Amino acid sequence: MSAAFAWRAGGCHCGGVRFEVALPARVEAQSCNCSMCAKTGFVHVIVPESRFRITKGADRLAEYTFNTRVAKHLFCSECGVKSFYRPRSNPDGWSVNGRCLDEVDGLEIVIEAFDGKNWEANAASLAHLSKEHA
Amino acid sequence: MTLRGQCHCGAVRVAIEATAADLPLRACQCGFCRRHGAVSTSRPDARITFAADDGALSRYRFGQKLSDYLICKACGCYVGAATPIDGDWYAILNVRGVDLPGFDGRTPEPMIYDGETPETRTARRKARWSPAVLTALQLSA
Repeated sequence: MSAAFAWRAGGCHCGGVRFEVALPARVEAQSCNCSMCAKTGFVHVIVPESRFRITKGADRLAEYTFNTRVAKHLFCSECGVKSFYRPRSNPDGWSVNGRCLDEVDGLEIVIEAFDGKNWEANAASLAHLSKEHA
Repeated sequence: MTLRGQCHCGAVRVAIEATAADLPLRACQCGFCRRHGAVSTSRPDARITFAADDGALSRYRFGQKLSDYLICKACGCYVGAATPIDGDWYAILNVRGVDLPGFDGRTPEPMIYDGETPETRTARRKARWSPAVLTALQLSA
């Protein structure tokens, strides 16, 4: 792990699900307009497998899938909060919800629009975000 | 006019008897609403109706534990909240969580309710929240 990354903690509302994610000081995040993300307001911070870990409550996660069923939408079965999930665009990594980070001091999150309504035309632009040596 | 919405999987459905232009749009800044990306609406003269498939709804209570925050067990969408006051139900809808139509381009008003006592919170909700029909949910006030 490069020194450019710092582990940050976050989780759902009830405290049942907790995670840690290694982030640089400046993070590019996506706000997606697809039918699912529009309902959860999910702010996508996509990272490789090695920069994410579940620290509590894996057994409290409920899973929802639809359409191609590649994305594994995970939410806390108690408070419903979707702290992270396996995105269809990056099934080799994770998408962490920027709204669920405990604190964002020293972190610059730049949110850009992602046109998930036209997913097939745009998903390739995200693939590099979950590569281990991106 | 009736605005209709639902969670992502469709197991929970909502309606409010109003036009979007007549409804406020509020962004509560509490930890629950922030994590759900929730923006809420209600109006004391706009009735809200919830309907759900059998066993589809989860009720989450936190903080002062006065209200049920309604979440679809299947897809996790937070659809709205309901609170019993003097034997009647009052409710809000999560406009985003049910994709209620007609709010595109609106900027929600940030709301902070910290410091409310149970009494002032209940009074505020009775004045601003919608009367609600939850009969299909088989909840008792």
